[in-house]
Amino acid sequence: MRARILASHQIGRILERLRRDYEVFAPFQGRGRDTFFDRVTAENQDQVQLHLPNPYYPPKRYVLPHLERLMTMRREGAEWRIEPAPDVQPRAIFGIRSCDVAGIRHLDRFYLGRQFLDPYYARRRRGLFLVNVVCTDLERDINEECFCVCADTGPAAAEGFDLQLMDLGGELLVAAGSAAGEAFLADPMFQRGTPEHLERRREILERTRRSFRATTGWFSATVRYITRGDVLDATWTEVGHRCLECGGCTYVCPACTCFTVSDRPTASGEIERVRLWDACALNGFTRMAGGFNPRRAVHDRRNRRFFRKLAHYFIQRELSMACVGCGRCDAVCHGEVGMPSVIEMIRRATSKAISAPAAPAAAAAAQPEPGRKT
Amino acid sequence: MSPSGKPAPMPREGAAAEAGPDPAADPRTNIYLPRLAVVDRVVDEIADVRTLFWHFEDPEAQRAFRQFRPGQFAQVTVFGTGEFPASLPASPTEAETFFTVRQVGSCTAALHRLRAGDRFGVRGPYGNGFRMDDFAGQNLVFVAGGIGLIPLRSCILYALAHRSQYGRILVFYGAKTPRELMYRENLRSWEEAAGIECHLTVDQPGEGWTGHVGVVGGLFKKPGVQVPIENTTAFVCGPPVMFRFVIRDLTGMGLSPQRIYSTLERYMKCGVGKCGHCCIGVAYVCLDGPVFTCEQIQKLGEDI
Repeated sequence: MRARILASHQIGRILERLRRDYEVFAPFQGRGRDTFFDRVTAENQDQVQLHLPNPYYPPKRYVLPHLERLMTMRREGAEWRIEPAPDVQPRAIFGIRSCDVAGIRHLDRFYLGRQFLDPYYARRRRGLFLVNVVCTDLERDINEECFCVCADTGPAAAEGFDLQLMDLGGELLVAAGSAAGEAFLADPMFQRGTPEHLERRREILERTRRSFRATTGWFSATVRYITRGDVLDATWTEVGHRCLECGGCTYVCPACTCFTVSDRPTASGEIERVRLWDACALNGFTRMAGGFNPRRAVHDRRNRRFFRKLAHYFIQRELSMACVGCGRCDAVCHGEVGMPSVIEMIRRATSKAISAPAAPAAAAAAQPEPGRKT
Repeated sequence: MSPSGKPAPMPREGAAAEAGPDPAADPRTNIYLPRLAVVDRVVDEIADVRTLFWHFEDPEAQRAFRQFRPGQFAQVTVFGTGEFPASLPASPTEAETFFTVRQVGSCTAALHRLRAGDRFGVRGPYGNGFRMDDFAGQNLVFVAGGIGLIPLRSCILYALAHRSQYGRILVFYGAKTPRELMYRENLRSWEEAAGIECHLTVDQPGEGWTGHVGVVGGLFKKPGVQVPIENTTAFVCGPPVMFRFVIRDLTGMGLSPQRIYSTLERYMKCGVGKCGHCCIGVAYVCLDGPVFTCEQIQKLGEDI
């Protein structure tokens, strides 16, 4: 991996250069904690910052838009003409965090892997240039809910980016992660680094890694518990009771993949087929025509979300985990059943079940339906 | 259960603005693009259930589609209403392709309104289907209730078209009333034909019904019926209550859950393992199914 040095105040030059070839998006500061991805223009370019809280609305939407037109269908006499929506222009995301890079890596595995390749995802993805910023500012970059250290996705992404920027204090270490990134580093604005730069990188990363507040050390144990179906039914029932069925956790998740498809008339008299994000938290997610719903109970649906994300079968199926440790679901959840909270609930319930003196009786009392697992 | 298909190929490292054709613009790579189909004729089966015979406008698409396996399904687009999954009741050994669909929601209602000559969209075939070669030399026992005969019809016709490859072929089929027995012409010919033992039952007799009355599982004990267990594969499809009881009957008679097949249906938006709606436990019904053995269904990790 090639790396170069750039003075911190010169990030504008990277943005300039990107804007020549791409439509560029970067996180901007709104009011208070609020941050959001927006298009970088000549007017707002000087407001782009390296360090700010990661926006709740993830950059996933540049590869999988919240709502995307797939095709239009138009009647021509007795015939119908079906036309796929036109291609999109190449995009770059400046300032994408390591967790979100891992999210896109996961989406790559899911949408481009296995038997079928999703053509809409593929064309957005192949034109996408990712400039990853390593989270090093303990006040601005790292939130209460962050647990990328446990999900092994951060604070510095190991792969999946084109360029990676790391703030060494006054200077940026710029590393290339792809051929396109290497080509970008050939620009004369970049300087050669010294071993001292690498030493500073190591020190800063070491300090950052130890500064996470919610370390959620039980993450891997939770993977094991969920895979084996060892989580108590009482825990899922409790998670279900707390869930408000708003779907927020899925809408902020950088690794959620589910979508629904809808046909609707347009103003020009055509029918357009769009796909839009869907959420397993919502009651209608599995409801079939005629009304039968195999997964009606809310705790079944909550169980489902965590099973789909953490069961070892699916980790093997995609060769990556559908949770990247960004903690957004915990930040937006009104019922405190985001990923870190549920891991904690599982830990507490399980250790209570183990340490209870009359374990079998206590477990039976806590479990309304003994014997039924996962 | 082993995951279907091969392991995920490694997506390339990083991203670059690679040149190349737009995969969404090309009908050969855009898996979501329906192909235009034409309705040939419409036949009423029973109340609310209609059969539409159809073909693709493009002869090449027609030829490619006709390679389908019994038990597979297709995604059907009714323009202006939406898209839904429908099983393929025709056997690939038959000359015509058709859907048999019960009107349960807005899309199926719109499909019912189509007439000969109307256009609609189809993509597929999808799903694993029944691997009929695996059952060579075996006795085949088909048990269907109500419109559960739709997905099994393909299998039965396929087996009859390759009659010498299989042992005994038995069909047990039940409906609520004689009026609700599907594919009546097929039933009549199966009852009369040699080489297939067809037993029918209804819950409520009437209209001059002289046949058996009772649940479909009751047919197994009807005098003169002998259900083979050795070297036998069973196919069960029907409403959940019927399904549970028939499975209990068959396993009670000594048939292993590995030798009992069924097909599941779920809400589906894509048919290709992406939209996430049809996932049950560890299985995507559209990719790993819709055909599962009873044993697989028990191990999905979620109730069906």
